[in-house]
Amino acid sequence: MIEFKNVSKHYENGTIALRDATFKVEKGEFVFIIGPSGSGKSTLVKAMMKEENATNGDIYVNDYKVTDLDRRQIPYLRRSFGVVFQDFRLLPNKTVYDNVAFAMQIVEAMPKEIRRQVPMALALVDLSKKAKAYPHQLSGGEQQRVAMARAIVNSPCLLIADEPTGNLDPDTSLEIMKLLDEINQRGTTVVVATHEKHIVDSMKKRVIELEKGVIIRDQKKGFYKNEA
Amino acid sequence: MKLSTFRLMLKEGIINIYKNKLMSLASMTMVIASLIILGLFLLFALNLIVNIEEIKKQPEVTIYCDHELDEEGILNIERAIKEDERVREYTVKTKQEAFEFMKDILEENKDVLEGYSEEIMMVSFEVSLYNPENSPAFVETMESIEGIWRIKYSQEVVEFITRLVYWVNLISIFIVAILLVISVFIISNTIKLTVFARRKEVGIMKYVGATDWFIRWPFIIEGIVIGILGSIISYILTSYGYNVLESAVNSGEFKSSLIFTGMVKLDIIGSQLFIIYAIIGTIMGAVGSIVSLRKHLKV
Repeated sequence: MIEFKNVSKHYENGTIALRDATFKVEKGEFVFIIGPSGSGKSTLVKAMMKEENATNGDIYVNDYKVTDLDRRQIPYLRRSFGVVFQDFRLLPNKTVYDNVAFAMQIVEAMPKEIRRQVPMALALVDLSKKAKAYPHQLSGGEQQRVAMARAIVNSPCLLIADEPTGNLDPDTSLEIMKLLDEINQRGTTVVVATHEKHIVDSMKKRVIELEKGVIIRDQKKGFYKNEA
Repeated sequence: MKLSTFRLMLKEGIINIYKNKLMSLASMTMVIASLIILGLFLLFALNLIVNIEEIKKQPEVTIYCDHELDEEGILNIERAIKEDERVREYTVKTKQEAFEFMKDILEENKDVLEGYSEEIMMVSFEVSLYNPENSPAFVETMESIEGIWRIKYSQEVVEFITRLVYWVNLISIFIVAILLVISVFIISNTIKLTVFARRKEVGIMKYVGATDWFIRWPFIIEGIVIGILGSIISYILTSYGYNVLESAVNSGEFKSSLIFTGMVKLDIIGSQLFIIYAIIGTIMGAVGSIVSLRKHLKV
């Protein structure tokens, strides 16, 4: 599903964001990528999406060799998984329904298919009643749930979340995590980058810990702090 | 592209025009302004060319026979003109006709002709050639025939006309080209502002996996719709203005002038003008948006 082989990322200003990162995520797993700000979490997620190019090493995501990918193929890589961002990234001029439908429109899904799938995705995140609302009329937690509906509406086998609870209060964060867990239960591989201790501790899932760009821990059913 | 996707993009493009009313209006005004200037120029050039063709039809060579030349001699000259391949048509002006013409010109002062008869006048031929540029050679041939008093031809006018057509063509191409470049530049800047205002949106679309063309199309359609609307309005304005001018000119005093033969009716050229407007408007809109999109698609 995801494989990093000796991946490094050096920025032009001399910062080394990733050093020789190697790990594998299998189908159906739920993985936390943790570490303080500046530890390389974001770079790792960006490298998976080809938002940043790795300096060295190979990255494979969903049968795409990301590190060798042509610019024109990037959209197809990004369609092969769903993404959720810290800042939600919803289209402000579109309704909740249209935001979710957009992810299907870009893959040129049939209108009939869109009319069937979008309400289902909205029901899963419990936002059926807000379908006609615009993003600015929603709370942060609701906006993130719209983003999650958008991420799963094409039924991807992988969902990547970059600090999905970074802008949310603790209760809402747990709600979002529950939703991610539910999506994972349905068979979708979930990768969550976060620095929030309480959500990692509450889930007891696989943890990959980064520090100054180096993977210092890869533990099944781990906690935020290494208690093994 | 699927039909459903095309419909979606069309809707998106038109909604964008409505949402950015002010910008769209600015772009459309620019399209209208440049198309109207372009149209005026085309129509001016067309009318000039049509009138030049008319001028060319006027006799460019007048041959005056000797005063005392007999019937035989006149026929001889007429035969020479008739048989010359360069001649398109000719008319004979008899002594009688020349005398009447003289009287007409003199009007109130025609008493000066009192006591004279048509015998003081001479027979003349007014000759038109197929190609006015041949007149010097034609004149040379004619001069070798006996019984000719004088040949008048206006080579300078002919050369001037020929040169004018050449320059009108050249300048119109030049001005039209400059206008098109300026219009595309202004449209692209206007659409660039729209794209810039929505660059965050474009970024989000790319994160979700939209291809460049999927993002481009609504903007291109936006540009094309602006171009087409602009060309329709331009055509309405141009045709209204032209018709007013044309009816004023063609019914006015110019009509009787010898050189000016009147303006071309819009019915004859209207559909071509509209097609030119529509094509150029569409291209300006499309090129304008493509140019402005290049920079903002790199995410």
